[in-house]
Amino acid sequence: MRDVAVVAFAQSPSRPEVETTETQMLFPIITEAIEQSGIERRDIGFWVSGSCDYLAGAPFAFVSNLEATGAWPPIPESHVEMDGAWALYEAYTRLQHGDVDTALVFCSGLSSRSDLRETLAVQLDPYYLMPLWPDHISLAALQARAFLDHNGATERDMAEVAARSLRSAKDNPNAQVSGDHTAEELLGADYLVEPLRPHDCPPVSDAAAAVVLAVGDRARAVCSRPAWIRGIDTRTDPHSPGVRDLAVSPSTRLAGEKAGVHSGPVEVAELAAPFTHQELIVREALGLGDDVEINPSGGALAANPIMVSGLIRIGEAFRQINERGRNRVIAHATSGPCLQQNLVCVLEGE
Amino acid sequence: MSDQTQTDTGLPGKFMQQMVSLDYRVLASPLQQRFDAGMRAGRITGHKCPVCSRVYVPPKGYCPLDTVATTEEHEVDVGDEGIVTSFTVLTPIQYRGQRERQPYALASLLLDGASSTVGQQRIAGPIEDVRTGMRVRAAWKPEAERTAEVSAMAQWGIGKAIEHWEPTGDPDAARDHYAEHIL
Repeated sequence: MRDVAVVAFAQSPSRPEVETTETQMLFPIITEAIEQSGIERRDIGFWVSGSCDYLAGAPFAFVSNLEATGAWPPIPESHVEMDGAWALYEAYTRLQHGDVDTALVFCSGLSSRSDLRETLAVQLDPYYLMPLWPDHISLAALQARAFLDHNGATERDMAEVAARSLRSAKDNPNAQVSGDHTAEELLGADYLVEPLRPHDCPPVSDAAAAVVLAVGDRARAVCSRPAWIRGIDTRTDPHSPGVRDLAVSPSTRLAGEKAGVHSGPVEVAELAAPFTHQELIVREALGLGDDVEINPSGGALAANPIMVSGLIRIGEAFRQINERGRNRVIAHATSGPCLQQNLVCVLEGE
Repeated sequence: MSDQTQTDTGLPGKFMQQMVSLDYRVLASPLQQRFDAGMRAGRITGHKCPVCSRVYVPPKGYCPLDTVATTEEHEVDVGDEGIVTSFTVLTPIQYRGQRERQPYALASLLLDGASSTVGQQRIAGPIEDVRTGMRVRAAWKPEAERTAEVSAMAQWGIGKAIEHWEPTGDPDAARDHYAEHIL
């Protein structure tokens, strides 16, 4: 296997109701990532993006987005209708072919253009579940109930996750919500959908992000401290939430094992858990103890641009290694209802 | 969202019809708002790339070839006359909600002074006369009827300030002039 590293990361601040087009939102972010990497735009060997036309509300929006890359002369390019973390998985795989040494991964999501309680229902099984129009908050609430009953955790434990996330987000200018709250204060709020209160749910965010990957000595030449991808794996649970035990996440556990989470100590974990109980489920699935720092960025509870949240976790993991001198960090991404699909990436310093 | 159930098909089993609709609220970007204001005043504007001098109509806020940002300072007016570079004749199927009754022509136009085409523009007159290279002129709606409707998120539209395009009767443009814009 060739050694692949993250050498640059850029993102736009997560905000609702971004005024520009999706392409305009991507344009400066892609340029920033390229400039940060020091690699010439023309030297990028492979481009791959993640986005969802259902969020933009425009068919083939992902084609317009390519205008932000400078695709003339033509570039080798691909797209996944998934979070950018899965686009990065494709880029990592592509770099294993051996003929190109650099790749640029970008993603964008306009979560605030539509009512996500409707739009996200369209991803469900169209025969038995989607006709009932179950919204994503209610599905997450069913999962939270199952988790609390199974695990013995309490709503206070969930509120503690929110309080810590919002506190951490104070240091992250790209976060959308942040602040100092105690779990006690948060528990004073009414339920949104029992047992979920507003603090248990993510904000609705628009954003774009880009990551540059490079191989071996190329990565060392362009980056003072690359974040090496030592393991990356993606696993999927059954599509129907009705046939799963929602209290646990077998796909996260398996992805973590295959990515090699347990082959060394973990200093920091950036987890894309948009709901408080989902962070607890993912931590349990990955076997992360209290000694692991969780989501110093604030995580998906502080900013949740759909299609972007996962790649941001990998970008934040890169920053932990590149800027803060950490040695071993893991990043997690999720997609689908109730943590259906999960990706785990292990990143290390030299 | 809405749904309705249809059962009496004469076949064994039951058919369910699911009507799915999703609502979107799209904000007009400052760029689109400025372009729309120009259209309401009877001006078609574009952005001229400071590197390659191509003029994009409507403006994108960047040049996709040179990957440089463009702003108001790169704004230029283009003509409300141009050349048909491609066209299609639509024969309306009478589905529910269809307002068209007769076949009509939609064309991509290369406006005078522009480097990119604008798509889906309606051409007036006999459809058998429509051809690539034909010169056409905008028939603007009366100013009061040029609605504030934005030029949409798709980047090929120019809004609804123009009723349709009429043949000017001038000689056709030479093919070399528009060949690279034919779809």
